[in-house]
Amino acid sequence: MSLTKWNIVGQAKFVGLQNFIDLFRDTNFTRSLVNTLYFMFLTVPALVIGGLLIAMLVDQSLKGRVVTRTLVFMPYVIMSTVVGVIWLWILDARFGILNYYLSFLGIRPIAWLSSVNWAMPAVAIATIWWTIGFNMILFLAGLQDIPNELKEAARIDGASSWQVFWSITFPLLSPTMIVVVMLTLINTFQVFAQVYVMTGGGPAMATLTVVQYMYVQSFQYYRLGYGSAIAYVVFIFLIAFILLERKLLKRSGDLN
Amino acid sequence: MKFKLVMFFAFAILMVGVLSMAQPLQLVFWGGWTGPDGNVMRQLVTEYNGGHPDVHVTLTTMQWTPLFTKFLVSSRGGQSPNILAMHGPDIPEFASYGLLTPIGNVIEENGFKSSQFAPAAWSGTFYHGKQYAFPLDLHMNAIYYNKKLFRKAGITLPTGWITGKEFLNMAIKLTIDKNGKHPGEPGFDPNNITQYGIALYSLNWHGFLEWYELLRQQGYEFLNSSMNKVGYPLSAGQKAWSWLQDLFFKYHVAPIGANSPLQDFLIGKTAMLEDGPWEIPAMTAQKGLEWDTFPIPQVFKHKAVWGSGHVLTIPIHQDKKHMKAAENFVTWLVKHSDKWALSGNIPAYNSAREFARTLPGRTGFLESTPYETMLPRIPKESQVFSSASVSPIVVAGQNILMRNKDILPVMKWMNQQIDMIFTQ
Repeated sequence: MSLTKWNIVGQAKFVGLQNFIDLFRDTNFTRSLVNTLYFMFLTVPALVIGGLLIAMLVDQSLKGRVVTRTLVFMPYVIMSTVVGVIWLWILDARFGILNYYLSFLGIRPIAWLSSVNWAMPAVAIATIWWTIGFNMILFLAGLQDIPNELKEAARIDGASSWQVFWSITFPLLSPTMIVVVMLTLINTFQVFAQVYVMTGGGPAMATLTVVQYMYVQSFQYYRLGYGSAIAYVVFIFLIAFILLERKLLKRSGDLN
Repeated sequence: MKFKLVMFFAFAILMVGVLSMAQPLQLVFWGGWTGPDGNVMRQLVTEYNGGHPDVHVTLTTMQWTPLFTKFLVSSRGGQSPNILAMHGPDIPEFASYGLLTPIGNVIEENGFKSSQFAPAAWSGTFYHGKQYAFPLDLHMNAIYYNKKLFRKAGITLPTGWITGKEFLNMAIKLTIDKNGKHPGEPGFDPNNITQYGIALYSLNWHGFLEWYELLRQQGYEFLNSSMNKVGYPLSAGQKAWSWLQDLFFKYHVAPIGANSPLQDFLIGKTAMLEDGPWEIPAMTAQKGLEWDTFPIPQVFKHKAVWGSGHVLTIPIHQDKKHMKAAENFVTWLVKHSDKWALSGNIPAYNSAREFARTLPGRTGFLESTPYETMLPRIPKESQVFSSASVSPIVVAGQNILMRNKDILPVMKWMNQQIDMIFTQ
């Protein structure tokens, strides 16, 4: 389909590689790609490092750890569109609860969703809140797989908490880490629903992402051939992430 | 035994025939009314079904954009609905795909005359000389205003068209900072405004529509006469954008980048709102809000206001029996469109529109009806006039009305992008 010009209704017309040529000349597509990478830059480190820190916290034998695990994971079961609507209200410039609390710190109301500078961070905040629980669960499973004896032996040998983490926990957690990083990269590259609901890709294309652009071209402009060409680019990126993951897992000796 | 078997099958066939004859004819009706207007249409459909036991109409509603995608996909599979609602300017695109049935003289045959409909609504049903739809309503921009805030500011409640200058003076009087000062007064603080004069859309495609009506007020068309290229004079476009931009950045009477202009108006943060009649149910539902409407200001030489209108089409892929039943239903709906006026939309049928006059808050829309101007009717409507975030008209509106960008480069960019869509 990516080699055709087709609007669903009529006959598809073969156009060779024209859709791909147009795509790489299309400044809106480049913009969407850059925006997606910016979104990944905002979310991936927070989701991975934040997920790990929360997992380490709730892995301790502290009071309320079960409740905390549940509370952190809970947003993940909500539908993405509902997440979008919830944050639409939280981030409203005039009535939003976030600006209300920020006002106590003397911060003037921020136009989260209508400002070119703030719209993408706003979508990133909503995404982190929504998906960090999933990473936490994966890390928690990885942490609980590490035998306690190893940590205890290190402590008896006089290792500090940091040394235990850096020399024992982190290396043994690396297969989980690779999986979490790759899943997060793949998921964030495909961001769509939050953007669709919260900003629609605006303002002034500040939150236009690749999948959103694919949707617009395919289902709002009825350019199915062009939309398919965008889908191929998304596919190539995802394949690259997966190949990278396999390579890293192979290196860590965890790929069976 | 053989005789019994034959009798059994004959009886079975007879029963199937009798049962199928007793079933009402099923009509599938799709529309994009997802707000309170959907409930009004649902009530009308229920009323029709109640009075016509031989036919059963099932209404499915969803947002317009996914509805049209669904329609294209369904049509491809030969499963079109029997009746599809759309807007007048949507007709050229779907008609050019060959998905709509030209209705010929059906409207006249059912006892209607073109003079019985609002001209904008009637002409909005044609494409290349063929009529493709029944006109249902018109919906255009007007100014909603808060009566209490007007009285408090000592402003006479408007009823008809006013000039741009009168409108601006009103908006200034209605804009108040935390010290009670108005724009232009010494010490006015634009960063601490507690009440704005007017809420305007700048984030979505309505920003463009606000501009389009001002372009039309100068007597210019957006596209050239061949409808395949942008064709308005840049100076006229600049004047229109400039007037709107000044409301935000020079006079500070409109909040910049408002996410929800409707909410701002409903709770009294803004004294006026430019919007369509589809917001009437929300106004009515807001307790304590005293509101009414008047036409948008006449800023330039002519009276003109952006508007559109719902029309009812009969898609292809159906037999004569279903088509006839669909025509009957649509005819009934048009005749009963006085009830449709309860949704806020202004009926296209004159006698139904008279009923709308008796309903509160319709003044601005009814006064605007003769001056409604729709978007150009082109087969590439879904791309050129798209409400998507990448749409040049949306981005241009955001850059000018929200980001205070220089008008000329933005306008040239918009024109170039639209011309490019025409060549694709």
